[in-house]
Amino acid sequence: MNSHITATGYARFGRRSEPLIELASEAAGAALSAHGRKPIDLLVVANMLSGSINGAENLVSRVANQIGLETAAGVRVEAASASGAAAFHTAVLAVESGVYERVLVVAAEKMTDRPTAEVAAALAHSLHPTEQAVGATMPALSALVSQLYAERYGTGTEVFDQVSRAARAAAQKNPYAQFQKPVTLEEIRSSRMVASPLRLLHCAAISDGAVAVVLERGHGPAGVLGIGQAFEAMALVDRADLTTFAASRGAAERAFALAGCSRRDVQVVEAHDAFAPFLLIDLEDLGFTPAGTAGRWYAESPPPGAPSVNPSGGILGRGHPVGASGLAEIADVARQLLGESGAAQLDPRPRIGLAHSIGGLASHNFVTLLGGPAV
Amino acid sequence: MTSLPILVSRCDSCTLRYLPRAGPCPRCGATTPLPLAIPPWGVVIAATELTSPAEGWPSPHRIALIELAESVRVLAIVDGEMPPNGARVVVVQKDDTYHARLSTATP
Repeated sequence: MNSHITATGYARFGRRSEPLIELASEAAGAALSAHGRKPIDLLVVANMLSGSINGAENLVSRVANQIGLETAAGVRVEAASASGAAAFHTAVLAVESGVYERVLVVAAEKMTDRPTAEVAAALAHSLHPTEQAVGATMPALSALVSQLYAERYGTGTEVFDQVSRAARAAAQKNPYAQFQKPVTLEEIRSSRMVASPLRLLHCAAISDGAVAVVLERGHGPAGVLGIGQAFEAMALVDRADLTTFAASRGAAERAFALAGCSRRDVQVVEAHDAFAPFLLIDLEDLGFTPAGTAGRWYAESPPPGAPSVNPSGGILGRGHPVGASGLAEIADVARQLLGESGAAQLDPRPRIGLAHSIGGLASHNFVTLLGGPAV
Repeated sequence: MTSLPILVSRCDSCTLRYLPRAGPCPRCGATTPLPLAIPPWGVVIAATELTSPAEGWPSPHRIALIELAESVRVLAIVDGEMPPNGARVVVVQKDDTYHARLSTATP
């Protein structure tokens, strides 16, 4: 493929006082400054909830006006919690088509100024209508999946605790992450039950934030090697197996086939851990470990040669402005490949990385493989 | 709570049994389902209690994933006591939703 990420920019995730468009502008400005302000000919904006909780639509025009990009073309992309990844894939298709040379992708969400119940209802709009009709929420359905996974593989909730602790520990090294302090296993175990077996510290936070990347024609350390996406039945009752996400498996197969590399080549992974047990399912679905074995990575240790997982802190540590998270996963992999991760930088600098994003309750998932030429 | 049969759809192409809904068969896409009545008893596959439900729902709010006869699965609101996984429940349809309650009756 012939496209690569040349710059990234963040508006720190967390509880922010600025409105949505200012967060988008902050991240876009950081990416454009890092890029040297070269001309942008396409703006792709990702967001999930602006219409339902921010009262703001026509986002592309708003962002273009705010950052002075009125001469570019523009498009908005929405794919629930994978919106940011979907926007990036749209940008890749635009550059690879040969029509556009340089694309700015901006993903932003503003959630913390609305009541939790209102946000939960808005997020539930990404579920199947029959699930919304019984008052199911994202944590509720994730709890059912987590129960079944734990039962099938004998994975205790203490492993979920370890996943959450590792995420918060890693986030301390990421200045853009929402959570800058570690949590103890005792704090995780005593946090309130949200939907059994998921406690508060097993679940992603409600967050504000934005991230931006510049994607350009050509090759570099953060080149696009492969992209893949896949669907699975939206309704849980229509799925054959609830302990795995077929959309992750399908997206990974397509991305690796396009990239022509193997799992063993991947040195860093940013996977979608909106709920702690999902990270275990992710690692299995992405093909890094057999089904039911990812818990050992946290209860014991990862096997030799395993990639570094979520050095950014992942969603559990970084925070989860839902429409932005998918692009943050990609941007954080790119920063590792570019050697720009600061205190979180892996040593040696990885050459190939994978970003994974879940849309809705894993009904539309994305995998992005980034990497540079062998040295 | 009365124990009326649950009306499901049987795809006349791939034979999948599923809860009636708008649109084609979720497995094969065929558009000619046949009605089929099944008993209202099922077994809880997984259930959870939400302490932070969505706007408009009471707290706590309980939901369960239930397997009925013919391998039909339903997501239902739990009325009354929280059923453990594996428990037998009776399911009733109210408008567009399903409700489940622990069952002591003999099917």
